[in-house]
Amino acid sequence: MKHVGTETLRTYEQINERVKKGDAVVVTADEFVAQVQNCGIETVAKEVDVVTTGTFGAMCSSGAFLNFGHSEPPIKMFKCWLNDVPAYKGLAAVDAYVGATAMSESEGFDYGGGHVIEDLVSRKEVELRAEAYGTDCYPRKAIETTIVLDDLNQAVLVNPRNAYEHYNAATNSTDRILYTYMGTLLPNHGNVTYSGAGQLSPLYKDKNFETIGIGTRIFLGGGIGYVIGEGTQHSPQNEFGTLMVRGNLKQMKPKYLRGATYYRYGTSLYVGVGIPIPIINLRVAGSAALPDNQIFTNILDYGVPSRSRPAVKKVSYADLKLGKVVINGRSVPTSPLSSFKYAKEIAETLKRWIQGGLFFLSRPAELLPNQSEFKPLEVRGHELRVKDIMTVKVTTARPNHDVRMIASLIVRNGVDHVPIVNGDSRLVGIVTSWDLARALAEGKSTLEEVMTTKVITARENESGDVVARRLTQHNISGMPVVDDANKVIGIVTTDDLAKLLRKWKE
Amino acid sequence: MKLRLLYTRSNVSNPVISDIVLKTRVPINILEAKVSLNGGEMVVDVPATGKELDEVRGLFERAGVSAKEIKSVMEIDSEKCISCGACVSPCPVQAIKQKPEWDIELDEGRCIRCLICVNACPVRAIRSP
Repeated sequence: MKHVGTETLRTYEQINERVKKGDAVVVTADEFVAQVQNCGIETVAKEVDVVTTGTFGAMCSSGAFLNFGHSEPPIKMFKCWLNDVPAYKGLAAVDAYVGATAMSESEGFDYGGGHVIEDLVSRKEVELRAEAYGTDCYPRKAIETTIVLDDLNQAVLVNPRNAYEHYNAATNSTDRILYTYMGTLLPNHGNVTYSGAGQLSPLYKDKNFETIGIGTRIFLGGGIGYVIGEGTQHSPQNEFGTLMVRGNLKQMKPKYLRGATYYRYGTSLYVGVGIPIPIINLRVAGSAALPDNQIFTNILDYGVPSRSRPAVKKVSYADLKLGKVVINGRSVPTSPLSSFKYAKEIAETLKRWIQGGLFFLSRPAELLPNQSEFKPLEVRGHELRVKDIMTVKVTTARPNHDVRMIASLIVRNGVDHVPIVNGDSRLVGIVTSWDLARALAEGKSTLEEVMTTKVITARENESGDVVARRLTQHNISGMPVVDDANKVIGIVTTDDLAKLLRKWKE
Repeated sequence: MKLRLLYTRSNVSNPVISDIVLKTRVPINILEAKVSLNGGEMVVDVPATGKELDEVRGLFERAGVSAKEIKSVMEIDSEKCISCGACVSPCPVQAIKQKPEWDIELDEGRCIRCLICVNACPVRAIRSP
């Protein structure tokens, strides 16, 4: 795009002059959307100087750099913990980085780096423990003390990836409940969760990246922060733009930095981010006016444990906000994971700051890229798949076969699982040696009477890890491997996995 | 109304609930049950009001089972709650709703105390008293 960031409607200097005088026209993105729908873009763009945005969601790529100061005698901390949460110590003697997803070594999922940051900002005492190997210049080998935020020389929030432009919505096609970073997903498409602030989302309001760049002053965690670059996995052409931000933790408020736990997933940090969008030209105004019904996302099936999860449906944020969507002809409840209430509060707070002359807009030193490649991680080298582990020679039986005959077959072949197939070798059930023992005890005669018909299966191209996890989840010791036509092509058992482990150890 | 029932060692093996259901025809729903030889504790939902409810409660007392009303089934700490909505759609009986301004509202009558919301809450704002 030509002339990105041209200041044809107003310049940053003109806006800041009006902020100083207290007569800048500032509206939230919600208000701007409504005004444009009523009066048209050209009229409103002439009138409004700044549109404020906001988002408040779990942002795992967040953390803080802390400098503890030097003890007497001094220590070059090699490992360090804050309230038992390990902090990264691959830095100078008393610098550390505490990341939101690091978890307490004693409390695990219940307390993590995000909670440490919240506690620091709440001015609570935090236990600091560190170990060192001792050097001539740093003789101390261990330290245990408490710190509070104001004791620290520096406490700077530096978040490598915040404020996702939008995010996928999630559902679950499997027959068991899933606990994910998208929250609790009920079986059989029982619900849909989604994240992102829709028409309040900062990056949708400047989707061509004409105003947001390195040095953009923002609302961060209740204080003032800055954009320091594009975030990791920034992918603006797919409307997955992200930001890297920093701000002084000492100015922030615990209300807008909340430690969080996603059940059986891990810890995170809810971060409040608000960005002022200066309406410098009509394109920026057009982007800032995008309403919820023109911001789309895909509902993905988190039941598929893969990098590329299939999309179940494309919906707009307006659809999601209604509280239900239709999937496979059935009405399914939807609910957000990020807080629209707080997002709105952030946009309103930022608006008041600018109106009150407390916050000036900054022209970025460099705009962010509006094209960026988002590459996957290729696993080089050979990785085990089901086809490498499975037993190809499978003992199968038919539903009408006699229990006694199969019992003797199991003994002769030394197997524990017998897939039951029909005439075209398609899978219809399974019996285990335990099922047969019970059948004999209860005097049953055919396999049909004892077989399990709902069979957990594997596919030959699935990875060993995924299949091992499935065996554990269903508390079973083996499963048939089937092809697209549901024909049995092998069987994979815990014995196969154990053999593999032994071989690998040797 | 939800009741907490306390059985003693002497009446734990009696089919108290079945007797009351047959007698009153009130479809009592068992939400939680912990039963051992030494007694038991249950949480039940009694979809009845007025005289009918009094009768059910009276029959429990007569059978030697203490039946105390559970006033609050779940508590949402409004200081901690960030009104995100992570508890809303996972609720299998749609007992949790978000108001137009996104505040969370719990319909205690519908709640079946499955506790899914307790785990779903990222800021641990929900608990069962």
